[in-house]
Amino acid sequence: MNHRLLPLASRLRRELFATPLDGLISVGLVVGLGAGLQALLHWALTQADWAVVQANSTLLVVGRYPLEQQWRLWLLTALLCGAAGITWGLLRGRGWPRSDRLAAAVLLVLGVVLPASLGLTAPIQQRWWWITGLLLLGRWAAGCWGAALPLRWRRLLPLAWPVLYLLGLGLIGGGLGLMTVRPSQWGGLLLTLIEASFAILVCFPLGIALALGRRSALPLLRWCSTLYIEFIRGAPLITLLFLGQNILGFLLPGGLAPDRVWRAAWILTCFAAAYVAEAVRAGLAALPRGQWEAARSLGLNMAQTLLHVVLPQALRVALPATVGQFITLLQDTTLLSLIGLLDLLGVARAVMANPEFLGRNAEVYLVLAVLFWCCCAALGLGSRALEHRLNRHSLRSEP
Amino acid sequence: MTEAMPSLDTAADPRAVMIEARGVEKWYPNGFHALRGVNLTVHQGEVVVIMGPSGSGKSTFLRTFNALEDFQKGSIVVDGIELSDDVRRIDAIRREVGMVFQQFNLFPHLSVLDNLTLAPTLVRHRNKAEVQKQALELLGRVGIHEQAHKFPGQLSGGQQQRVAIARSLCMEPRILLFDEPTSALDPEMVQEVLMVMQELAKEGMTMVVVTHEVRFARQVADRVVLMADGDVVEIAPPEQFFSAPQHPRSRQFLSQIS
Repeated sequence: MNHRLLPLASRLRRELFATPLDGLISVGLVVGLGAGLQALLHWALTQADWAVVQANSTLLVVGRYPLEQQWRLWLLTALLCGAAGITWGLLRGRGWPRSDRLAAAVLLVLGVVLPASLGLTAPIQQRWWWITGLLLLGRWAAGCWGAALPLRWRRLLPLAWPVLYLLGLGLIGGGLGLMTVRPSQWGGLLLTLIEASFAILVCFPLGIALALGRRSALPLLRWCSTLYIEFIRGAPLITLLFLGQNILGFLLPGGLAPDRVWRAAWILTCFAAAYVAEAVRAGLAALPRGQWEAARSLGLNMAQTLLHVVLPQALRVALPATVGQFITLLQDTTLLSLIGLLDLLGVARAVMANPEFLGRNAEVYLVLAVLFWCCCAALGLGSRALEHRLNRHSLRSEP
Repeated sequence: MTEAMPSLDTAADPRAVMIEARGVEKWYPNGFHALRGVNLTVHQGEVVVIMGPSGSGKSTFLRTFNALEDFQKGSIVVDGIELSDDVRRIDAIRREVGMVFQQFNLFPHLSVLDNLTLAPTLVRHRNKAEVQKQALELLGRVGIHEQAHKFPGQLSGGQQQRVAIARSLCMEPRILLFDEPTSALDPEMVQEVLMVMQELAKEGMTMVVVTHEVRFARQVADRVVLMADGDVVEIAPPEQFFSAPQHPRSRQFLSQIS
């Protein structure tokens, strides 16, 4: 019998008060949660002074990005939100299931309430309304007419994202007629997202290559991959970051050593790649030998076997662990503040050091925690949707 | 042992030679001597059934034909191509030699139809629509036309094995190898797979089958090969092999399985 169909009272009794001990635990938890929430609300509404966040919201989000060039970031945000809406719509189609209605409602509230509560000026508030509207419009339009588009067009969608990513880097950094904004001027959430997204995108293929290398039949390749993975996994990230900042400059001839920001991004990438490699290796190991043999005996060569038979299955197994690694990576970007980069935490520390807002650490840290939580939750939701999609059709074959 | 089986091997048979194994020896990395100078010739259109106790090396021997197992001594010529370490040569042989496994080894992430069309489109660069048409015909032949868009995990063992046979056939191989094709099946599904194999034999497919199915060997095989301890001990037509086995190991084996 489906528990959801029971009346509320008997459902409660069944789920919360089935035995005296269950009841005791439930009551204890409810009381504890209530007390905690009340204390937090009391603090947030009466004691906290949110001026520190309101006054520094721009700084926290983009750092010292030049004011007159910030239209580029607005444009990029609008493009990303539009593309996200269209992707969402194409994946879901015409219908609006409950989860979609909920997500749309949350977005609307965020788009209207958040800018207002931050005390942003009216024109900027309106920009957020437009952007939220664009996202939902994209969702609606693509949902309605996406299916009517020729299949060839819809196939382009996965390609649109990397293109958009490169375009975004171009917009942020400038060049080609746009004024150059050097990486040292990037900061805040912007820098955190650039570092994390770059590392995530590049460490994934790198990790796959390392995992394949570690299982290769060529001894030298196998040893090198193993050595690399074990060395990286044995060293704390912060050490590697300091090492990268100090040594890379000496090792590479002057012009070749990347800028401090990109240096850190590459260190993050190489670090995460070793962990992704281990997740992918587990996926490869889970694949029965018979899959290789069947593919090879059909005449597929090594590359075709990997691309069409081995990796699709191995990556599906490795996906949850890999996304866990991505989430860790996103949080690890806070270490950049320790090597002097103004990422989200770095900017926040600068704000807290401002005598004007002395003693307002709790407010800033809370906002930081919520921002990180939002980014990680988005990653987690995305991966679960992807996992669901990959597993939609196939039940695993068990002979 | 070669001298114990005169007329049945090679020379007299006018049909083309499809597989020629001479003095094949294999040691596993742990030193186990798995194949001890095995000889076997398979002619075009012939059905050869290899039997023998477990550990006798029959599967290992079969898997040397398409280079899934390597060997250290001797030679194997398949369809005129001699096996060597040359990857391109191995790929060329594998294109012409289909294999059906005990555990089916279908690709679980692909639909039944895609399981069939993957290799012909990738390896033979054939037109996808044309291959799909052929694949549906093949699925019809093995009696699972209506399951084309399901995934392997949704089929029974017998159905999966028939899909695996159709997948091999879709590459239009000149030889089919069967490695204990019915050993992983529930008893009631064995027959449906054997029927398909029997049909193939009737159509003149060259087949080498490792199996324990005596009835199949009796009805379909042209010759039965008995392997023991890494070597062939007897090759005989089925009626002779099952009614009057020559070698003591054959008699021992037959008494154990009946």
